[in-house]
Amino acid sequence: MSVGHVARAVEESGIPTVTVVTKSFAHRASEMSIPRALVVRHPVGRPMGAPLDTSRHTHVLNAALGLFESTTVNGTIVELPEPYRPMRSDS
Amino acid sequence: MDEPEAPDSFGAFRESFAYGERNDLNFKFMKSMTDAEAASFLQKLLHQLGDTYDTGDAMPLIETAYRTQVDSYSPAPDVPPSMFTYADGPLAPVQTSLRNARVGLLTASGHFVSGDDPNPFGEIAMTQERAIERSDHFLSSTPLLSEIPVTTPATELRVRHAGYDIRSSLKDPNVTFPIDRMKEARDNGTIGGLASTFFSFPGITVQGRLRNVLPQWVERIHEEDVDVMLLVPV
Repeated sequence: MSVGHVARAVEESGIPTVTVVTKSFAHRASEMSIPRALVVRHPVGRPMGAPLDTSRHTHVLNAALGLFESTTVNGTIVELPEPYRPMRSDS
Repeated sequence: MDEPEAPDSFGAFRESFAYGERNDLNFKFMKSMTDAEAASFLQKLLHQLGDTYDTGDAMPLIETAYRTQVDSYSPAPDVPPSMFTYADGPLAPVQTSLRNARVGLLTASGHFVSGDDPNPFGEIAMTQERAIERSDHFLSSTPLLSEIPVTTPATELRVRHAGYDIRSSLKDPNVTFPIDRMKEARDNGTIGGLASTFFSFPGITVQGRLRNVLPQWVERIHEEDVDVMLLVPV
């Protein structure tokens, strides 16, 4: 996972990182001991949620930002329980 | 008279979704499945589609495709670990509260600003289709980091990536590059501010070459004077 290398390098330079990872690549976050990972149950290519699903995007963003305040050890992985949802035209 | 073409085997059909004649990056994972697994997957999808005719509810279809994708990407127990497996790693201390933090963003989504195309391999105005054709080149080349001023309107963002289906990102860049959501977080006080420039690169790349350029990338990121950094692979 390319971003795993970025996370480690940026973190080693002193800047804390949180990585948003789709479930398909959660094992990479674990293998690479990236500092803080938020796992989302979304298909590959939709880490923040479906197009125009602003409330899901915000939920993912806030959960990711929260890891900056709650993480105390490297390799912290938190999984959001919500499944992916398409943005329906009637919603 | 030409001989009629032999029909694809099921295995060839399955594999053609990964950069073949039926390329579909949402389903390229079928290449790594066995014929039996792929047959079972397709049969289940079609069965659930039959239910969708009556219910209009596509969620079971989505859930089946999602779970199969997750299973396909997960390493089998007998597969040796990646060479980039680490027992431990760094953890930089967070020095300020979120409400005061200046936040940066780097994604592997392949976004860039209209008029500032990185033109990979010197190819001008490369299309998504052409990028997919050249996926092997991306996998053997040094990745190019695009700089995206945070003032960039979403309508000025472009995306190109040979490794994932960009259709969702075309409909809404925030799916993979949450620039608008981060501006909202800044505006409502959730975070203190944003970097002046965000970053993106196409994450389909060779890991060794990426690691070689990381010192320059990290140096550039530090010029943004951020307190924390959000990273979004696809």
